[in-house]
Amino acid sequence: MKLEDFRAKQAESAASEEELHEALEREFHVIGRRLRRTDGLAKSTGAAVYTDDIALPGMLHGKILRSPHPHAKIVSIDVSAALALKGVHAVITGSDMPETFGIIPWARDEYPLCLDKVRYVGDGVAAVAAVDEETACEALDCIEVEYEVLPHFLDPEEALAHPETPIHDPKKPGQNGNISKQVRLEFSYVDALMEQSDAVVEGEYYFEGTNHTAIEPHCAIGYFAPAGKLTVWSTTQVPHYLHRELARVLDLDVARVRVIQPPIGGAFGGKSEPFDLEFCVAKLAMITGRPVKILYTREEVFYAHRGRHPMLMRYKTGAVSDGRIKAVDAKTILDGGGYESFGLVTTYYSGQLITAPYTMESYRFDSTRVYTNKPCCGPKRGHGSVQPRFAIEVQLDKIAERLDIDPIELRRRNILEPGARTINEFRVNSNGFLQCLDAVEDAADWRAKYRKLPYGRGVGVAGSCYISGTNYPIYPNEMPQSAVQLQVDRSGRVAIFCGASEIGQGSDSMLAYIVSEELGVPLDYVRILSADTDLTPVDLGAYSSRVTFMCGNACIDAAQKIRQQVQQAVAEEWLCRPKHVKLAGGWAFNALDTEAKVPISEAFNMAEAKYGALGATGSYNTPKDIHGSYRGGTIGSSPAYSFTAHVAEVDVDSETGFVEVQRIWIAHDCGRALNPILVEGQMEGSAYMGFAEAIMEEHIFKETGLHNAPSLLDYKIPTSLDTPEMHSLIVESIDPEGPYGAKEAGEGPLHPSIPAIANAIYDAVGVRIDRLPFSPPRVWKAIQQRAEVD
Amino acid sequence: MIEAIQLTVNGDTREVGVPSHYTLLETLRYVLGLTGPKQGCDKGDCGACTVLLDGVPTLSCILPLQEAIGHEVTTIEGLADRDAPHPLQDAFDITGGAQCGFCTPGVLLSAAALLTRSENPTREEIRNALSGNLCRCTGYTKIYEAVELAAAALREERASQEEAP
Amino acid sequence: MLRLHPYQYHRPRELGQALQLLSEHAGDVMPIAGGTDLVPNMKHKLFTPAHLVALKGIDTLHGVERRDGEISIGAAETLNAIATHPLIRQLLPALAKASGAIAHPMIRNQATIGGNICLDTRCTYYNQTLFWRKALGYCLKKDGDVCHVVKGGTKCVAAHSADTPPILMALNAEINLASADGYRSLSLDDFFTADGVCNTVRQPHELVTRLRVPVPSPRLSMSYQKLRERKSVDFPLISLALALELDDKQVVESIALVVAALGAKPRRIGGLDKLTVGERVTAEKVEEVAQQAYRQCNPLDNIIVDVEWRRAMVPVYVRRAFREILS
Repeated sequence: MKLEDFRAKQAESAASEEELHEALEREFHVIGRRLRRTDGLAKSTGAAVYTDDIALPGMLHGKILRSPHPHAKIVSIDVSAALALKGVHAVITGSDMPETFGIIPWARDEYPLCLDKVRYVGDGVAAVAAVDEETACEALDCIEVEYEVLPHFLDPEEALAHPETPIHDPKKPGQNGNISKQVRLEFSYVDALMEQSDAVVEGEYYFEGTNHTAIEPHCAIGYFAPAGKLTVWSTTQVPHYLHRELARVLDLDVARVRVIQPPIGGAFGGKSEPFDLEFCVAKLAMITGRPVKILYTREEVFYAHRGRHPMLMRYKTGAVSDGRIKAVDAKTILDGGGYESFGLVTTYYSGQLITAPYTMESYRFDSTRVYTNKPCCGPKRGHGSVQPRFAIEVQLDKIAERLDIDPIELRRRNILEPGARTINEFRVNSNGFLQCLDAVEDAADWRAKYRKLPYGRGVGVAGSCYISGTNYPIYPNEMPQSAVQLQVDRSGRVAIFCGASEIGQGSDSMLAYIVSEELGVPLDYVRILSADTDLTPVDLGAYSSRVTFMCGNACIDAAQKIRQQVQQAVAEEWLCRPKHVKLAGGWAFNALDTEAKVPISEAFNMAEAKYGALGATGSYNTPKDIHGSYRGGTIGSSPAYSFTAHVAEVDVDSETGFVEVQRIWIAHDCGRALNPILVEGQMEGSAYMGFAEAIMEEHIFKETGLHNAPSLLDYKIPTSLDTPEMHSLIVESIDPEGPYGAKEAGEGPLHPSIPAIANAIYDAVGVRIDRLPFSPPRVWKAIQQRAEVD
Repeated sequence: MIEAIQLTVNGDTREVGVPSHYTLLETLRYVLGLTGPKQGCDKGDCGACTVLLDGVPTLSCILPLQEAIGHEVTTIEGLADRDAPHPLQDAFDITGGAQCGFCTPGVLLSAAALLTRSENPTREEIRNALSGNLCRCTGYTKIYEAVELAAAALREERASQEEAP
Repeated sequence: MLRLHPYQYHRPRELGQALQLLSEHAGDVMPIAGGTDLVPNMKHKLFTPAHLVALKGIDTLHGVERRDGEISIGAAETLNAIATHPLIRQLLPALAKASGAIAHPMIRNQATIGGNICLDTRCTYYNQTLFWRKALGYCLKKDGDVCHVVKGGTKCVAAHSADTPPILMALNAEINLASADGYRSLSLDDFFTADGVCNTVRQPHELVTRLRVPVPSPRLSMSYQKLRERKSVDFPLISLALALELDDKQVVESIALVVAALGAKPRRIGGLDKLTVGERVTAEKVEEVAQQAYRQCNPLDNIIVDVEWRRAMVPVYVRRAFREILS
């Protein structure tokens, strides 16, 4: 293609003057349009520089030595032979960084390198820095570690039964050291209301552990400048939290530590806390005076893990004959793996987050997170709520059948009103769940298909709700959760500085769209510099689906300050009212006389002449006190909630047990789609990930504690040929507090995949698969058993 | 052992001093500084390292470097014309075919090879051609749309070139 | 990333040179064609030869031609070339299908049919990194003396995992081997042995040069069936080929059914002549064959998939093979 053709195509996507005049009639001229990303071409030309793409002069390569035992005391480590190896610059062990860290400030239970014991196969015990990776590997082979092997537990119920072999010291004397967290909450009176139910359904559900499997493995580079400043480049999605922990563990002034997050090759929650490699590259850089890089092998990514908690869930649900839910009683055991990670939050979420979209007259949950000698579990897209959502949505399907009510209709009869509080006192503002149900019912032709397709084919429905960020940050403080700084150049160029983590979800682009909307600059006048703690104001990171809501609001805050200055300055020149000065498409023009217009740069110059250098900061903080006053009431409280409904259509081969998901219809209430392409991308990507967990992913272990399949060949994620057709249906409920009404779209759309597929399998072949994944052997056996019974 | 090896990459032929046991990917990324092809899984399971060898999609992370001698290697950096993106790259940008972008270089090269073979590929043919490239972000839908868009753009380009010689 | 050990890479242009190199460096040399199986295995430190002898540059190992009533296939032909070759598609369609179903497009562009025939056997305790295998305590096939699949087992049960041998065996293919000492040729059945450690009789200094398949009779129909978890990338859980010769009254003149991926050696299902030759192919007859196959196939936990299910799938895919042929 010729350059002039490409430029012509780019210009097409910018608004023409006619479109701008039309835009004066519409609400927005950028928001809501199907636009390119700001980083799309960098990614499709190979120009984007990811962490492992960075090479610094004199850079050394690091490797971490990992435990071959699932549970053992470290008796001694002898690194002398490794140090003596030619090309090795430094070797460190746990005693070089004897400070614990953890993402939850009051649950710091990890050392960068294990100090006295190892808790899973893969737990790090030493690290080396050498001239190249091969030498570093050789050096690891020279390190002698003496272990005293301890009994290990791979099953949480087994771990619970053996408090005499605690994986961690008990939090209080006399407690079971294998319990990570226990939460019991009851709202209203479950037992009494269960008695009043006409239909009571009980079920046991098991959600297998899964890994995030971002295509980019973790990577970090540390550099300690002669002036005494540490820089760490990392594939982290939480640069601010990493910044704090690095300083604390390494005993450095936090103002002399810099964390830079380059473009990331996928995260999904797998990079949302500090990891051993980040501390190791920093420490090794400090010791050697050279930059040090560590790149995980794919196997190490499985050991670092922090993926979906396996959950064993026992549910009892009662409803009256018209379908209204009277009582839900849930008992859950979470398999936490070797450490805490976000465990406290996960344990709460496993109960707190299913009280929407449905009303329930009473609710009780009892969740226990248990340590086991396996890689630690943490947040994976839909943190802690995907598993219970599977259970409750299948429970509802069973109730619908028992009461002979259509499953979509059953859900309609239990809808939370917009603006209502959930039974556990979360404030749900905008709520488009009803429209989501309508959308999938219609698009999937549900009424013609449900219980009407021939044997082997079926449809299933499920709904869900998810947070758009959390009202409380991970470390308690009163400061904003998100901030944006803008700086305007005389050329019209606007720079956005924001701590937000672009992980592929489009957060950089989202900020650019907002600035383009508010200040009228073309998209390619906008520069985004994100996630560099030396240059960007704090944003807490890409987790809990907070970025669009919080950074978006902070950006609007900053942009509107500058907009007002520009409008005021231009209005004074044109002798009109500031509100009639419109900024759009590269121009400032008078809404009442569109002949009066100047290029936007000129408008900026007028403002700079009047006010001085143009720049503004904006912040956003979450509402407090919109949660219950009971202990734990804050966990799950969010400024806004998204809603999703799926219908899945499946083809089950009853001869083999293969479940082929033909189509998934995804309706998601994202408040407002700032760019529908990005929202659809999140909906499709989420549904893909949910489908993958439902059908094929299994993060499981052999008796020895060794990971069953630590490679992308053996740990199965769907290829293009495995992935169903997906149809995205955006619903906009326009949230009163979201940026232009927007809410999250990054995690919510994953939840209903799994139960919708489970319910569709039941519609197709009459068997309930209550355990993940719905693999061919499992489905086949269930069909065989049913055939025997019949 | 360091050997001087003659390689042709993205149209440039030159001698490169490199440990003779390196794979093509290690050479491209760590010796030539072409970081477009990515390292995702160490051993050929994910497709992120895909390059073209004489126009044929090949996994560079499991190709012994010396197998590239005498052949033309094309990485993502060599896909575009000098000053304008390839229609596939533009199409990915339009449809949202790249989210995190890590699988993108590999996917684009597999797609580019497909479009060289087939002017109007069906959705099924596209899925087949990309069946060795894992993507974790997009669910593939917008990738297919991008390939179809690019195929249409290329057909149009060809048609207009034929009209005006 | 997983790095390779230092090796010397030889690129002979002539077969003789290659064979010479294999003899010269005996004990520390391996041949390499596509490398799509060997290189990952080397990254796993399962093989660390100081010398690799590249085969793709040797002309005599290429080419697909019909001569002397046989189709002669060069061992260095890529899987993609086999899957798309007009002669193979016309005369050996199930071989084209089998080749085209292996792994995914990039692998098929690099891998060769000779490499597929000689594919190393696989097992969940073997195809792992050095760190993983060391933590395990190694296994019978590599560096250890314990089989983790069959407790107390003294024989390795790693699985044959290639897709092209079943149909080649069902068609009574022969394989040519060359070494510095001379040439030999044997039936593909005799090429494989039931030993998980090394499941072929190829000596380390020998090379597979050509495969020769008798041109099938016009009355012969064939089918290839593959079971795997995903629709791409994965090795087979069952790899099955059926070759059936019927007269104009649908009466069986000859039958061959080979099932692989369950044990170290592809299994030619026995007793089928007695069962079917001279009989018409009815639904009942198909079922008898399917059950015969079931009785003779015993998958183990070498690949971690439910064993009962995998075994139960054998008759299912036998039926599907018949269905493909008869439709």
